[in-house]
Amino acid sequence: MQHAKDTFYITLRDRIAALNPARTVLVRGVSRPAVLVEENELPSVYEQPQVFRLNWTDLAIDPRNDQPLATMRCEIRYATAGNSSNGGMDRGRLLAAMDAELSAAINAAPQRATKINYAASGATAMQTNIFWNCVVFNAAETKDEQIQRVATVEVFSYQEAGEL
Amino acid sequence: MDVLLRGSSARSAMLRIPAPATPGDAAEQLGLATPQFQDVELAPVVFRTNAAKTADGKAARRELLVSATAVEVLTGLQNFASAADLFASAFGILVDDALLAIISATELEAGGQVCGYRLTLRETAATAVLQ
Repeated sequence: MQHAKDTFYITLRDRIAALNPARTVLVRGVSRPAVLVEENELPSVYEQPQVFRLNWTDLAIDPRNDQPLATMRCEIRYATAGNSSNGGMDRGRLLAAMDAELSAAINAAPQRATKINYAASGATAMQTNIFWNCVVFNAAETKDEQIQRVATVEVFSYQEAGEL
Repeated sequence: MDVLLRGSSARSAMLRIPAPATPGDAAEQLGLATPQFQDVELAPVVFRTNAAKTADGKAARRELLVSATAVEVLTGLQNFASAADLFASAFGILVDDALLAIISATELEAGGQVCGYRLTLRETAATAVLQ
């Protein structure tokens, strides 16, 4: 399952970076595409706006196949306060832009990727694919001066022999 | 502020800072590689143990008053743009070998100038086990 989570993150990160190279975040002094997996970062990394933050939540495993099918839910949180130069009045437009980027990145064909083992020395392609359904957007919420949204996507992966 | 802190049982604490990330390193982004940490001294500080606030089921919160002089020196030495960036990047504060997470950093002003910082700290799970 960890390989599937890693593969989905790298795929989403690269697609977002291709769609909007300017969407970056500064983490420990280094600029990178603004897609983070919360469980992979230091707990002290505070929430920056206009960043896609991935949280892996629900997990279900169907053992009926030769290769058990894992279904994992990924929650993607993002928020914006708009541009301060515009008094934050463009926060709705910035959130809509993030909605569009996320939709384009996840819903674009193919909605699958070859599962990669990044833990090995050098990334190694595995025998199966991961695949995912379309992204579902929850209602936008207002918190202080920010407007935020949580989107969810279910990611599926077959567990290969010996895979953790 | 330094004189005030020194007259109020001042002591030192260590600020734990992670090393800068490695550009383009997927291993760090995937949680496969962990950064190096360095502990740098903050002094003078006053650790307000009597200011602990504990709500049911939540970790105790404590306060640390830090001299602005010490923070300015550290901010410059570590190449941070501001004190806020320094505290936001830090992993925590070590007080007597107990690691406390930084919840917030508030500027203390006197005469229109920043003379210190009040850090609100939270006991981490590791600290709670130790006690």
